Formats: sequence, structure tokens, C-alpha cells
Amino acid sequence: MDLTPRTSTEPGAQAPTRKRRWLPMLIVVGALLGGGVVVTKFLTSAIDYYCNVDEVGVRSGCSGERRMRVQGVVEQNSVKQADGGTTFILDFNKKTLKVAYSGDPGGIFQECIPIIAHGRVVNGVFESDRIEVKHSNQYVEKNAKRIDQSNKEAAACSVLKG
Amino acid sequence: MKHASFIFGSWGITAVSVAAYAVWIIRRGRELAKHATSEEMPWT
Amino acid sequence: MAGQSGTGTSATRRLGIVVILMLGVLALCGLWFSAEDVVQGSTVRIMYIHVPSIWTAYIAFAMTAVCSGVYLSAKNRSLAWDRVAGASGEIGVLFVAVSLVTGSMWGRLTWGTYWVWDARLTSTAFLFITYIGYLAVRQLGGTHRQRARRSSVLALLAILEIPLVHFSVSLWRSLHQEASVANPNAKVELDGLMLFSLFLGLIAFTLLFVWLLLHRQRAMMLEDAFSDRGLDVAITARRNEAGA
Repeated sequence: MDLTPRTSTEPGAQAPTRKRRWLPMLIVVGALLGGGVVVTKFLTSAIDYYCNVDEVGVRSGCSGERRMRVQGVVEQNSVKQADGGTTFILDFNKKTLKVAYSGDPGGIFQECIPIIAHGRVVNGVFESDRIEVKHSNQYVEKNAKRIDQSNKEAAACSVLKG
Repeated sequence: MKHASFIFGSWGITAVSVAAYAVWIIRRGRELAKHATSEEMPWT
Repeated sequence: MAGQSGTGTSATRRLGIVVILMLGVLALCGLWFSAEDVVQGSTVRIMYIHVPSIWTAYIAFAMTAVCSGVYLSAKNRSLAWDRVAGASGEIGVLFVAVSLVTGSMWGRLTWGTYWVWDARLTSTAFLFITYIGYLAVRQLGGTHRQRARRSSVLALLAILEIPLVHFSVSLWRSLHQEASVANPNAKVELDGLMLFSLFLGLIAFTLLFVWLLLHRQRAMMLEDAFSDRGLDVAITARRNEAGA
């Protein structure tokens, strides 16, 4: 029996599994490039040092006026909004840092919540242009705790600080 | 409900994408089954 | 020809009904009955689909890896394992995409941004891209066995990303919160109906995955059979020619 490969002139006669498939090849190349881009973005976004409040001015990379990310908890009764900006005190490990943010922080920004502020220290104040609000992995039913507005923030503080 | 558009939007996106995929695989299965022999469909 | 029954059986139909009912109850619990969170308010309701979506993606990719491992190690190298692996990978890609989109919307409401290049988000995006690549590799052509061999090797490498994604929040300083249930402290951080809704979502999505998997791998079986049939027709034609 002759089993040598033949080139058929009839359209569609070739077994589909033998076709060279350009689209999947392009997708594979796209996936490799996409993976490279994702890793690069992750590495370049990590250029700014990630410092806790108590490390600012102490740890290498967290001092001077270099750009950094600072993590801490927004101190209770410290948030003030004026002239389109927001100032507040950031706490961590019994150390504090005054933050001046140029705008109204989004998300669930509030007192007693952990945040990450991007910016740099200028004259002892952390001038921030970006704020990301962290939320804890604890989920507490609002109704079940019967929290009224007056003690809501205090309760949130106790929840967040564990 | 506060942020209803985001909340219902995220539920809606999930429902629509999963439903669309489910409909696609059911239709694909039916289309292929029209031309299949019973030996090719051991689950029947 | 077998007729029009498609890839369904009475068992998959029953499973489908159970899944629809469970998803209906999940919608009621998640969007209506469960309380708001004391800090996040109503945005917590996105969690009931976001977490089950990524859970389902994890299960799907684990299934892909297990079936790929069985395919490579089994003596008979049955292509059924490869088809289940492929179907599972496809479903996993769907759910990881859903998880990325819903997570991004949740992030906008809680963190104040749709996206950050943080360890958890980046590793999840990388996982998504890897499995898009896996699905593309399955379509590169060649015989079914070539497809099975190359995609199985890739699946066994890709699964190594799952622990990296899951533990990224503790390995790096991350904006993403740590796990509320599957955490190292083994402490469940959710109240009453919130916990119930989340578990209901996990079970409903897992059963949905099983239903989708059963249908998809059967459709793949038919695709392979038709492809083989085309080859069989060609071989028969050659035999006839040789015999003539």
C-alpha cells in the first residue's frame, strides 16, 4: 500500500490536524510577550521602597526625599480636608507620620483603616500623590453588631487593629 | 444599595460570561452529536 | 448516527438543575439576605462571586495538571485524560478572567483603584496569560498524541504558579488582603450569613465546574473522533486504491 504523503488539489481534503495554524502560534507569541510585560511591570512598580511608618528615616531606602510607599493605619480623628487636599496622621508600631494628600482619597478611605501612600517626605511631611486603601481579611456584619454611627469608627478601629 | 452599579455589574458580568460559555458548549455538543455515531458517544 | 442528544445525560441535566437552584439561592443570600460589612459596606457582596471564581480556576488548573500527569505516566496513554485536562484548562481560563474582572471592580471600590502591579494581582494576571498560552499550544496542530504530550508537559509546569499566586500575599507586602478562611492561622474571619454565602458560592461554582467539564470534554471527544474519522477515510481510500 502506498503511504507516501500526497498534496491534494481538492479543497478541505487535508486532515485538519496537519494544518499549520498561525493564529495559535500568534497567541503563544502574544502570551510570551504578555508574560514578559506583566513581570516587567511588577518589577518596575517595586522600584519604590515599601516602608512601614516606623521605618521611615530609619531603614535604608526609606530615608531622605526619595520616592517610596509608606504603609500604616490612619489615626483616629486626624483626617482634615481643606483646599481640595487631605491631611492625616499615619500610625504604625507606635510611630506616626503626617501625610498630605493632594485630593480626596477614594475607596473606603476612613480613619483607622490601613493604607499605602505613595510619595516622598518633604520637611517632615509625607507628600503623597496616590493612596491605596487596604482592607483586612476580617468581615463583620454591620447589623449583627448593632453599631450606631457614634461608635462606628471606634469599632472599625478595634476590628482593624484586631 | 451603595455602589449598586459596580455590585450588580460584577455579578452580571460573571453570569453573562458563564452562561455564554455554557450555551456555546451545549450548542457545540449538539452540533457535533448530529453527525456522530453511537460508538463515538459512549455516554448515550 | 446517534441522534440529537448532544453531550447531556439525565445525570448532567439533574446536576444542571441543582447548580441553577444553588446559584439562585447564592444570588439571594449574596445580594439580599446577607448583611453589609462594617467597614466595606455593600461592596463585600462582590466577594461571593470573586472568591468562588478564583477557587474554581484553582480547581480547574489542578485538574488539568493531575490529568496531564496521569496521561504522561499511564501505560496506555489514553487521550481521555488529555481531553479532560484541556477542557478543564479552558474552564479555568474563563473563571480566572471572571475573577480578574470582578476583583478589579471590587478593588476600585475598596482600594480606590482598578489595578495595581501588586504581587497577588500580577501573579494572577501571569497565571491567566500562562493558561491562554496552554490553550493556544493545544491548537498548534499535529496529531492528538503530539498535542497531548506537549500540553501535558506545559500543564505540569504551569501548576507551579498556583502556590505562588495563593501565597503571594504573605510572601510579599501586598495590597490584597490575606485569605479569610484558608489562612495559616486556621481562623475563619467571616460572620454568620457572610460565611454561609461564601461557602454556598464555593460549592455552587464547584458543581458548575463539574457540569461544564462533563459537557466540554464530551464535545472534545467528538471533535477528536471527527478529526480521526477524516484520517480514517483517507487511509481507507489508500487501502482501496492499493487493493484495486
